[in-house]
Amino acid sequence: MDFTNHHVMMVWRNEPCVVIGRHQNPWQEANVSHLAEKDISLARRNSGGGTVYHDRGNLNITFFTPRERYDRKYNLELIKRALFRGFGIKSVINKRDDIVVQDNYKISGTAAKLGRLTAYHHCTLLVNANKADLSKALAKRETKATESTRSPVANLADIDHKVSVESLQTAVGYEYLRTPALHIEDGGQTLIKKQRGFQFVNPTNEWFPGLSGLRNELESWDWCFGRTPVFTVSRTFPVPAELLAPSRVYRASEELVINMTVEKGLISDVTLNIPPGLVESGFHGEASVITHLKGKRFTSEALSALQDAMLTRHLSNDIKKLDEKEQFVAKCFDQVVNTI
Amino acid sequence: MDDIGTVGISNYAQESLGDIVFAQLPDPGTKVKAGDECGALESVKAASEIYSPVSGVITEKNNNVENKPGLINTSSFDKGWLFKLQLTNPEELNELMSEEDYEKFLKSDVEKDHT
Repeated sequence: MDFTNHHVMMVWRNEPCVVIGRHQNPWQEANVSHLAEKDISLARRNSGGGTVYHDRGNLNITFFTPRERYDRKYNLELIKRALFRGFGIKSVINKRDDIVVQDNYKISGTAAKLGRLTAYHHCTLLVNANKADLSKALAKRETKATESTRSPVANLADIDHKVSVESLQTAVGYEYLRTPALHIEDGGQTLIKKQRGFQFVNPTNEWFPGLSGLRNELESWDWCFGRTPVFTVSRTFPVPAELLAPSRVYRASEELVINMTVEKGLISDVTLNIPPGLVESGFHGEASVITHLKGKRFTSEALSALQDAMLTRHLSNDIKKLDEKEQFVAKCFDQVVNTI
Repeated sequence: MDDIGTVGISNYAQESLGDIVFAQLPDPGTKVKAGDECGALESVKAASEIYSPVSGVITEKNNNVENKPGLINTSSFDKGWLFKLQLTNPEELNELMSEEDYEKFLKSDVEKDHT
């Protein structure tokens, strides 16, 4: 689309999902196994910035312009005016381009993408999102990817119960139509009458040829998880005394240390530090564990591969179950992959 | 003849992007055509694609910049280089602007905004 003479603002909503920024780490930003359990989708957007939680109580707004007219401040100022004109709500736009109410409650997060000729700036507006679900979905782990900056959040409906996603959509829509494209000023009804008004958009391939292709790519594991910058995780697990060889006396507590490097969402390197007590009591799976984990996705796929690796070592004895030491090691790996 | 080119962004570009927090660079071995999207820069203001100015095969990417993206802001013409590539069509260089042409282009852009 050519936005030279025609800017567009799009308002939209999502079913519950966590949206991470283009260069973020989903395992660091969200509780991935929890999301799967609760049927909450995970999406990676093309724009930068941090992680947000969407549900039907959150309004998304996207501002489309030609690249050189990209202007976040203008867009946020417009929303601020809509909040005041429509509901008398006073807000502040802080240094990070968040919209904040009552001194420090964030009601909006912002991100943007510059293309060759066009640009978009999109932001969220919390109206009556489920804050409990929001906290449970977002998690915390430390890696090198772009990090989110956490803030306390508030729903606009908490401040004024007259705010609903529908009424907010209308307020922001009319503010957009009554404001000249290049500077903030009230053009009133006169300007509104000259615009194209509200239009319903149907996101199907028929309306927008090529959309299915884009959608498939954005829904792929390779995009959502595979695009994660390289990261390493390291966890230490004290070995329970009953699993150690009884003949020795242990000076310090025996610990199993697991280090994993994950590249493009796949395990690229694993090192295990197996304490002597565990080796002596019969655990010899180290080499096979490492070979079987390399190249696997950093998900329960890796854990299944690990179980298989340990089970195949029993081939000669025809034993189909893991012994206690192997179970312990498997549980430790499970924690590394699935918990924060 | 070697025909290896080094690609980076201009001082004007790094200034308008703002503090760069992440650089996603193309892997060595990747084939690109002039104008192809081959990476991205994320700054506090926005995420922006990197387009290859010429066609070729990537020979090296700047790991320093991946670890310290700020180098692009502080040293866009020197330490903040993004990637190197072996040119497959050296004639494409003729279509690029020289430094003088670029400065003129920037000035004319500024005038457009003020009319």
